[in-house]
Amino acid sequence: MTDNNNFEPKIIGFLCNWCSYAGADKAGTAQTPYPSNVNVIRVMCSGRIDPQFVLKAFEQGADGVIILACHPGDCHYKEGNVRAVQRHRLLLQMLEPFGIETERCRFDFVSAGEGDKFVKLITEMVHAIRVLGPLKISA
Amino acid sequence: MKTGVYFCNCGTNISDKIDSGKVRDSLLAQSPGIHFKTVDFICSDEGQGTIEKDLAENGIERVVISACTPREHENTFMRMLSRAGLNPYLMQMVNVREQIAWVTEDRDKATEKAGRYIRSAVDRVQLHEPLEKKEIDICPDVLVIGAGPAGLKTALSIAGSGRKVILVEKAPVIGGMPVRYEELFPDMECGPCMLEPLMAEILHGQYAQNIELLTMAEVIGVVGSYGNFVARIRQKPRFADAHTCIGCAECIEPCPVSAKNTFNFNANERKAISFPFAGALPNVPFIDQKLCIALQGGQCRKCQETCPVEGAIVFDDSEKIHERNVGAIVVAIGSELYDCAKIPGLGYKKLENIYTSAEFERILASNGPTDGQIRTSDGKTPASVAIVHCVGSLDANHKEYCSGICCQYAFKFNHVIEKKLPGTRVYHFYKELVIPGKNEFSLYNRARSNPHAAFIRYADIKDLSVAGDEKGNGIEYQDISGKSGRVQADMVVLCPAVIPAEESGKLGEVLETARDSSGFFEELHGRLDSAQSKIKGIFLAGTCQSPMDIQKAMSQGMAAAGYVLSGLVTGRKLEIQPVNAEVDGGRCSGCRVCISICPYTAISFDAEKEVARVNDLLCQGCGTCVAACPSAAIKGHHFTNEEIYAEIAAVLK
Repeated sequence: MTDNNNFEPKIIGFLCNWCSYAGADKAGTAQTPYPSNVNVIRVMCSGRIDPQFVLKAFEQGADGVIILACHPGDCHYKEGNVRAVQRHRLLLQMLEPFGIETERCRFDFVSAGEGDKFVKLITEMVHAIRVLGPLKISA
Repeated sequence: MKTGVYFCNCGTNISDKIDSGKVRDSLLAQSPGIHFKTVDFICSDEGQGTIEKDLAENGIERVVISACTPREHENTFMRMLSRAGLNPYLMQMVNVREQIAWVTEDRDKATEKAGRYIRSAVDRVQLHEPLEKKEIDICPDVLVIGAGPAGLKTALSIAGSGRKVILVEKAPVIGGMPVRYEELFPDMECGPCMLEPLMAEILHGQYAQNIELLTMAEVIGVVGSYGNFVARIRQKPRFADAHTCIGCAECIEPCPVSAKNTFNFNANERKAISFPFAGALPNVPFIDQKLCIALQGGQCRKCQETCPVEGAIVFDDSEKIHERNVGAIVVAIGSELYDCAKIPGLGYKKLENIYTSAEFERILASNGPTDGQIRTSDGKTPASVAIVHCVGSLDANHKEYCSGICCQYAFKFNHVIEKKLPGTRVYHFYKELVIPGKNEFSLYNRARSNPHAAFIRYADIKDLSVAGDEKGNGIEYQDISGKSGRVQADMVVLCPAVIPAEESGKLGEVLETARDSSGFFEELHGRLDSAQSKIKGIFLAGTCQSPMDIQKAMSQGMAAAGYVLSGLVTGRKLEIQPVNAEVDGGRCSGCRVCISICPYTAISFDAEKEVARVNDLLCQGCGTCVAACPSAAIKGHHFTNEEIYAEIAAVLK
């Protein structure tokens, strides 16, 4: 597949308030540009991210969802990020029957200092979704 | 519901990339009722004043602030809403500076994205509920568990502010481990001399009336939460009355029963009634119930007959259960040393003249079993002493971490041996050398310049083998380069890993506080909050949290006191933040999934109603339970499902 440059993917980013949202802010203070396709939704902890949020996002027209959490051991709420990892794994198994490629639902860790990593992840995600093309739900 | 959208230009930081006029036009095209206003600097006093006025004049009920990151100014604008007479939770911030203007190169794309974000916030804020901070009454008294350096410092700091402290100590004496040591690193200060002024303050100082000291006691139950704990404390009988006894020690000599003195690591004998060591405080003896003839039903009353004070010896003393209401708890129960018998090659407990560092400290102490004389078991002066560092530390087969204090006391031993027995050979067997700090190098340098000291670095403790022969003990070793050798060591001192105190597990369960993979009490955050546990209102001080030296233990005690004094202020109520979880009893199926995953043990099960219930004092508002509840029976205030769905829908429109 080739990169579809005319297609502007809609991506929802669920970010925990303490590390990843701060990491996105860090990219901002460093004034590092990245594609405008990501729509950030702030939650206090990645553990708050209900798998239904992700399904809802796909249902409402998102082409991709990225969940960003604190690094293991750094969770502001002790272990919410561990729950987020577990739920993401289960979620991937649910997406496939709907014909939603697992690349469309990404999970990663971004610390408050990792503005560059945030930019890299968003840029990669936008590219990957461009390659996949718009989401078509089969089931 | 009239919604006000306030767009901050942030000078040119935002306006350079986002055209507020276009944002306004597209918003008003969809929702003509929106009140839109552009301000140059909302966070400035002038900007805030303008908006406060505008809110009142236009009857605004919901507010969207399009500006910088909420991590910077959310509280600023919440206060602004409060001043304007609006509930501060009826606002949503949109981060168009850090997350749009500063990172989007294309002005049209940035403007379009800002429009999406603001529309999303407008939809979300319609669903916001006014939330109120709750206030509860608190008990300002504090329970401190452990009367070692950290606990003493904590207790005294809190008592000095006029607050009541209940100080619980399991031993009959206070002062912890260092009070047993004659000289401390790095500057050879005498342990009891250093601690005695502190202990005297605790027992008889200006604020002593604020401290209730319960020795021979342990905490057996705690209920409640930050601000209002109820602690149950079991106190063993001492059989001597602390108020009446004058500490003359006349009672000791006549006692006919003798046993090993555990306070000197069994190196000498003590009586059934005894002081653990000379100078121990409180200066009141205690009777070991299991040893005492009278308490075992016999006829002996020798101690009582000798006692010059009526009523000081109390044979009918009994176990007491105290119940105390406290607002906060400080855990300062200290640590222990790794059992060297777990490394059989070192001969500990099998061969003569092999001591742990703590045992050797007592040998060096003038109030110890040998009055400070370094002698082998047959009474001879040792010609050589081997000091084995890193016994069980930095070792994947034993304890992986460095205990951080052993190198320094090992070099202190070197210094004391050199002083007491000049010419004695000292062998330092070490794996790594760890000597941080600004004064700590001095003892190391001294050891390095001791002409009778040798340093042998080993790779693995298994490469050392202590064997007894007719001349005493010898150490066979293979050093880190693979070279083998043997040295004669008339005495061997082992420096064991520092490990959690035995009662850590039990106390951890009583307090429901987490312990780390090594068994130490786990701190809230390793760097930011090492003196707080993960349970609100339970604080940590000293080596119960991690191996550390006296300086750090004392500092942590002060840190714990600081948290208590600033967080739990006499006469002030405790504020409970409203962004928390709440169970809808009608929807709850009682599956208890939430209870199992709450990181703060903030959820309990109401057995009568068969529903889960959130303690909003303990709840931190992470929302992990909200996402986990299979019945959607838990509401995460300010981050409700509906609010987040609204955000998702609007941003994707």
